Amino acid sequence: MKKIVMKFGGTSVASGENIRHVANLIANYVGQGYRVVAVVSALGEVTDRLTEVAEQAKKGNRDYINEFKQKLLKEHLTAARKAIENKGIREEMEQILKTTIDELEKVLTGIIYVGELTPKSEDYVLSFGERLSTSIVWGALRDLELNAQFYTGGEVGIVTDSNFGEASPLMNVTKHQVRAKIEPLLEKGIVPVVTGYIAATQDEVTTTLGRGGSDYTATIIGAALAADEVWIWTDVDGLMTSDPKIVPSGKMLPELSFQEATEMTIFGAKAMHPRALEPAMEENISVRIRNVFNPENPGTLIVKEQKIKLGEAVKAITLVKDVALVNVSGAGMVGTPGTAAKVFDVLGRDNINILMISQSVSEANISFVIQRSLLERAVSTLEIGLLGRGLIREVTAEDDVCVVAVVGAGMKGTPGVASKIFTAIARKGINVRMIAQGSSELNISFVVKETDGKEAVRAIHEEFELNKI
Amino acid sequence: MRIILIGCGVVGQSFARILIHRKAELIKNYGFHPRVVAMVDRGGAAINPKGLDLEKMLSLKVEKGTVAAGREYGHLAMSALDVIESVEAEATVEATPTNIKDGEPGLSHIKTAFKTRKHVVTTNKGPLALALPALTELADYNKVHLRFSGTVGAGTPVLELAKKCLLGDRIVSIRGILNGTTNYILTEMDEKHITFQQALEKAQKLGYAETDPSMDIDGTDAACKLVIMANWIMNKKATLKDVDVQGIRNVAPQALEEAAKRGCTIKLIGSINDNLQVKPTEISRHDPLSVGGVLNAVTFVSEFAGEETIIGRGAGGMETASAILRDLLDIKHNVATTLIA
Repeated sequence: MKKIVMKFGGTSVASGENIRHVANLIANYVGQGYRVVAVVSALGEVTDRLTEVAEQAKKGNRDYINEFKQKLLKEHLTAARKAIENKGIREEMEQILKTTIDELEKVLTGIIYVGELTPKSEDYVLSFGERLSTSIVWGALRDLELNAQFYTGGEVGIVTDSNFGEASPLMNVTKHQVRAKIEPLLEKGIVPVVTGYIAATQDEVTTTLGRGGSDYTATIIGAALAADEVWIWTDVDGLMTSDPKIVPSGKMLPELSFQEATEMTIFGAKAMHPRALEPAMEENISVRIRNVFNPENPGTLIVKEQKIKLGEAVKAITLVKDVALVNVSGAGMVGTPGTAAKVFDVLGRDNINILMISQSVSEANISFVIQRSLLERAVSTLEIGLLGRGLIREVTAEDDVCVVAVVGAGMKGTPGVASKIFTAIARKGINVRMIAQGSSELNISFVVKETDGKEAVRAIHEEFELNKI
Repeated sequence: MRIILIGCGVVGQSFARILIHRKAELIKNYGFHPRVVAMVDRGGAAINPKGLDLEKMLSLKVEKGTVAAGREYGHLAMSALDVIESVEAEATVEATPTNIKDGEPGLSHIKTAFKTRKHVVTTNKGPLALALPALTELADYNKVHLRFSGTVGAGTPVLELAKKCLLGDRIVSIRGILNGTTNYILTEMDEKHITFQQALEKAQKLGYAETDPSMDIDGTDAACKLVIMANWIMNKKATLKDVDVQGIRNVAPQALEEAAKRGCTIKLIGSINDNLQVKPTEISRHDPLSVGGVLNAVTFVSEFAGEETIIGRGAGGMETASAILRDLLDIKHNVATTLIA
């Protein structure tokens, strides 16, 4: 009997109809003998709106909160009515939703009174999105006569540190507790329905998992239960060879390694946050990305190690926009140990993250890519910190660029991949501004003019015949 | 360094001119790359996060009366406070006119700059004379620097002489001529044997004195500078109300003649000993402070190095603008030192 942790994202539970659909999907798998743990995100965009309402509460905007409360209640009641047919369950659910939203209102009122929003109280506010959505899914499952039970992340045993807003699980305690809690439930044929994204400290104070969110919850539970697979139900069929908006002939990737998936997500492919992949990677549990609206499609399977087919060097191509290129140069840098450290230290102290780095062996300049919104600050900080010390002579920047990242485990040790990539680019008359490849050889990234970005992606996609996989 | 320039009067414009003329040299010799990302005057603001073209800004100011009139970067009627709050920059240069009643709008500009973590260079004596202890505390708390060397002696590095050149020594007392206008008037009265009124009119004709000369002749301007020195150099938490001030309206030509007989003259001397005082004082013609015309002179009495006197012009647009540049370079140096440990 397969043990599967299924996570349902914001669009999967965006409406009552969708929730009903999700419930049917779960019931179907349970019917086939699967043991299922369901992890649920907040209704589409509710988390962002909770962030905003908490902010408004801090400012003392009482009207905004009243209006928000009414609207939130109405949306959830509507969803519950459409998702649940049984009158008894529906009434019970309406009561739960009302009580939960009353509790939220009390929290927000508290924030209005103290005029302060601590990360701790913000996490508490944010937890309501998942508490509400998961309740409805729970009701919908019972409506289909499934033996389901509702748990928050904390109740199910996920314990985190008290780094509110971006809490990290105490992984071993968590695994131990989650296993102890859920295994017996599955034995009894119960379907646990768990709130994604939220957890608790050892003192049972609500925390949120930050980056990775509900996906992270799913992989944590998957790792704890040694599940057969973790399924991330979303609104796309799986990971693609490239963004279909850029390459209409882009294909779905049937299988990827964790490393490849990590590379792709870092470069902005719409998928899981690398942090969420970690627990699965550690316990070697495969993660499957599937389309909730197209369950016949097996989706993309992310596995530990994947057999590389001969000649399959490049897997996927992503385009990273809204970036800028900074170039630091000066003869004083040549043969001076510690130059790069100084450059990156200055930026690090100013909280500027570096996406990509390149330095030629002449050492006369270092180029790197950062987020575009930070460009002016980065240049100014570098100039203040480093100009006039005999080390660097000039800091220049280009803000009309983008990064093309070519990913594939098969590139490792395959000669001629870079040559093929850049020949394809050159054929289109596109100039390459900067290149970086780590020695892992999983990824070649390069910078081109923003106007050339899409064309470059298409040229490589074509060159490696990714539309024919 | 990204700079917000508040105030485009004589000083603000002179500062822009210095940046235009010295840019290459500043980068090459001092590693200082100034970018003025916003300029604000009474008509509004001009903003460009990549740095404004200062030549264009100056001609806009001359032709249209405000830097906000530019089509591309102009924001008519945008206030200085809005600019300081919303524009990203490392430093704010505050060069609005002095107001000694409540220090505004300069005081709010400086406080807002601190709160948004911007260093401040100011030439505005008002906020400093009224609230220097408060402002230095706020700057320290927000981990930014406040510099104002242009407020005392304009381009003459009066504050730096005491603070930097006499490093390690202890300054026991300060005496000085801190106002050029009154010094001109007293010099004229002494040399030409004319009345106060005649000398004042002459000063006004030459542009040394304002139409309303009270700030100068009643000793307020000198008192402001004294407060700044007391705080910055001698660590006394004084404000304007702690200064005993007497102006030069009542100095009679006869008094000067009497003094001359004794080989002396009368100067408006500001002094810091146990207390702060500005008043017309008889000094020997051989005293190093006995300088003529619009010159300023300050004598520092230090515990070990003895007496040092610095003399120079105490006013002027370019002179004051040079002090702004000096302050910015000092801030750049300090920040660079903390960035690269």
